[in-house]
Amino acid sequence: MKEIICYSALRKTLHGRLLLDIDSLAIHEHRCVALSGRNGAGKSTLMRIIAGLETPDSVAVTYDGVAMPWKRACQQMRTHVIYLHQQPYLFDRSVTDNIAYGLRRQGLSIKEISRKVSAALDWAGIGHLQLRNARELSGGERQRVAFARARILSPRVLLLDEPTTNMDSEAREQAHRMIKRLKEDGVSILLSTHEFHTVAHLCDAHLSLESGNLQPQTINQTSSDRKIIPYG
Amino acid sequence: MESLSAATAESFRLLFSGDAALWVIIFTSFSVSVRAILIAAPFAFLVAFLMAHLRYPGRRTMIAGFSALQSIPAVVVGLTVYLVFSRSGPLGDLQLLFTHSSMIIGQILLAFPLLVALSHAAFQAADRRVWETSVTLGARPSHAFFTLLHEIRFGLIAAFIAGFGRIIAEVGCSMMVGGNILGYTRNIPTAIALETTKGEFSQAIALGMVLLAMALLLNGLLAFFQGRGVMTS
Repeated sequence: MKEIICYSALRKTLHGRLLLDIDSLAIHEHRCVALSGRNGAGKSTLMRIIAGLETPDSVAVTYDGVAMPWKRACQQMRTHVIYLHQQPYLFDRSVTDNIAYGLRRQGLSIKEISRKVSAALDWAGIGHLQLRNARELSGGERQRVAFARARILSPRVLLLDEPTTNMDSEAREQAHRMIKRLKEDGVSILLSTHEFHTVAHLCDAHLSLESGNLQPQTINQTSSDRKIIPYG
Repeated sequence: MESLSAATAESFRLLFSGDAALWVIIFTSFSVSVRAILIAAPFAFLVAFLMAHLRYPGRRTMIAGFSALQSIPAVVVGLTVYLVFSRSGPLGDLQLLFTHSSMIIGQILLAFPLLVALSHAAFQAADRRVWETSVTLGARPSHAFFTLLHEIRFGLIAAFIAGFGRIIAEVGCSMMVGGNILGYTRNIPTAIALETTKGEFSQAIALGMVLLAMALLLNGLLAFFQGRGVMTS
């Protein structure tokens, strides 16, 4: 499977403590990888570094097999990698405007944006919410808007930071269905969680962040039609 | 009391009969203060944003400085601008003293620290996810900045209104650098001060009512926008 991004010798110190000391982390096409670890282990920091939102102390990056300096890698990541916060932020505007936000920065025509937004609303099943202010929505509805807003930009990698924390079971199921559909669309997903068993059925691999380094874990299969894919 | 009630009745007559001298004063006041606040606000917002988002030596001192300068007396700003633009001052050759330009400069200096301090509080309180979400959705820093402005717009509008309220009613700076010239630099506060010393209360009361109405309107708007800011945060 083709490698999209690879980070080597990634170090990050926070308040004098070595938080991340990762030898190698590769993100491959069409894979959903779970990133687990206890609270404060550095999962969010790692995801924010991958998204280019935080700068590590040191790292070597290759993108599509090409080694590049951090700043250039950040530019690539901002085009192809989308990070969703644990509680996604929706702008104080309509659902439609939220979903169209990224497209408006790509210089597309209004007609094209409108067509894509309609398709995204249908995909997420939120057509009935399109004129509502996104701030008025429930947690589950917000999550769906955030997924639609990310998917419309056709990212290569989607980073989901504990996407189902504090959700009721129905909203959690809905979020899982959307993650599955994103995966079927060919998006690579890195999903952080501190309850791996809740997302095990979505994932092809499992990495655990322990003492700053990544440890590959075996997935206990519960579904007979899935294969164990070793990671790394 | 009779003379006071007569002066009040006369002030209403002046206001509603379209007295040219009175309305020139009102127009001068608004023309100068609106231009001052429109020039000061963008720069103040940019400075506040940089103070909130960048880490550099002296940042805390800068924040404390702007906070302290909020309460600088208008007459001190007036004195400073007067000395700078007076004939023997460093910028005396520009001949700006006793013009709208010098009044605008004085009011910019008065409003700027207040605008910076209040908008800095709005930027500080902004959710950092606004910027990160914009960037991760492909926005350039300039777009992310305007998105952030939109998200905290109620706090910024409140700062804008508070700044305008500060300069529309100040008398010390306008009196010193404007010179209170009838039909040119005489604005509402300086006219009230002058008419009161002359014992001509009708015009002073009429202008006072305009200022009072403006103060009520601004405070109403401020309460509205601060309320909206809380509701949408």
